[in-house]
Amino acid sequence: MNNLLTIKNLHASVGEKEILRGIDLSIRAGEIHAIMGPNGSGKSTLSAVLAGRDTFTVTEGSVTYDGQDLLAMSPEERSWAGLFLGFQYPVEIPGVSNVNFMKAAVNEQRKQRGLEPLSAAAFLKLMREKMAYVEMDSSFSSRGVNVGFSGGEKKRNEIFQMAMLEPRLAILDETDSGLDVDALRIVATGVNRLKRPDNAFIVITHYQRLLDYIVPDVIHVLYKGRIIKTAGRELALEIEQKGYDWIINESE
Amino acid sequence: MKANKQQISLGPGERRELVFVQDQPDAAVLEAEWDISLEEGASLSLVFVSLRGSIRNRISVSLNGEHASCDLSGLYLPGDAEEIDFSVRMIHRVPACSSTQLFKSVVSGNGVARFDGLIQVVPDAQKTEAYQANHNLLASDAARAFTRPQLEIYADDVKCSHGATIGRLNPDELFYLRSRGIPLAEAQLLQQMAFTGEVLAKIASPEMREKVLSQVEARLRNA
Repeated sequence: MNNLLTIKNLHASVGEKEILRGIDLSIRAGEIHAIMGPNGSGKSTLSAVLAGRDTFTVTEGSVTYDGQDLLAMSPEERSWAGLFLGFQYPVEIPGVSNVNFMKAAVNEQRKQRGLEPLSAAAFLKLMREKMAYVEMDSSFSSRGVNVGFSGGEKKRNEIFQMAMLEPRLAILDETDSGLDVDALRIVATGVNRLKRPDNAFIVITHYQRLLDYIVPDVIHVLYKGRIIKTAGRELALEIEQKGYDWIINESE
Repeated sequence: MKANKQQISLGPGERRELVFVQDQPDAAVLEAEWDISLEEGASLSLVFVSLRGSIRNRISVSLNGEHASCDLSGLYLPGDAEEIDFSVRMIHRVPACSSTQLFKSVVSGNGVARFDGLIQVVPDAQKTEAYQANHNLLASDAARAFTRPQLEIYADDVKCSHGATIGRLNPDELFYLRSRGIPLAEAQLLQQMAFTGEVLAKIASPEMREKVLSQVEARLRNA
């Protein structure tokens, strides 16, 4: 089967500092990949580069998504093509309500696919249905995007948005950080309900515990901007017990 | 050119809510003067929405009777080759009055926004509460905003504050919106509308607010 995402020798910098130093990664539809690694290894940079954040400069390498040159696309074009980034730090947007935000996003996606905008009633029905995925109270829809949300509510809002947009490739950047066990379970259940044979997930995490709920097919360890180990799901347990040092030593 | 002068006088205990929408599509400069006085216990809410054109507003408010209150706000949207100017004098002549000023601009093209606001509290006008804020959003590189908030306070038992900012759209918000598939121009519009919301919320009538909101949106969409 063809790859949904192919990253080849990806290098990226912020200013003079090179953060990604040659990433190679292939993902097929139906797969869940976990990316683990110590702080500062480049995990969030990788997700930001894939989503099109312009604070990073790609200096070398290529990213092919569904046969297209991903790096040539604007952030909104990537979203239209089915890419989704769940932010580690979801942004607060005072004055823009969650409902207006999602209405603009969903209808723009529909427009790009040549579909009519959803009627107000159909949109609200969809929104209620997807909010239930993450046990979000309907009062959230009228509030400003992420404004005054707790850490867990913000992460649930990310999964809610993902459920609304039904991406083909979702990158979840430390969605589990700062979550208690209940919120973690809610987030993981949302992800598992959205998993299909024709989509894929990249789950970036520090901890084994998320991977108890979201079971990856492959685990990659990122260190100093390179993937230094790729293995099956049993690797997460080993990391939990022994830390990263042995993998780092092995690779050096 | 002759200024268009208006007087608003509220007698004791009178209350009024007014909204002025200014739209000056031709090149002529619109000059308007507002001379406002409030007697004891009077309450005025006044919202200016200056959609486009070159406009000079001079607003003078005199709080003449105790417990009078004036809530003054303005949203102004100068675009290319336009300049919109608000000059406000809020004079607290007697004790125990309150006033707020909230003026916000979204400046596009090479437009210019100006705000020159004064709060004056005379000696003995104790227990005055007076606030003033001016926030400007520059939507293009060539846009400019000038702000001059001033306090002149001659009484010692008062609560007064003023603040002014000039800024641009937040790039983190913009990226977040775009990452959900909202195109750049639409994301900018959402942010600009969010910025204007605080002033539009001052319009008490929901029908009027909706109407003005759609005028503002149409204006920003075509800026």
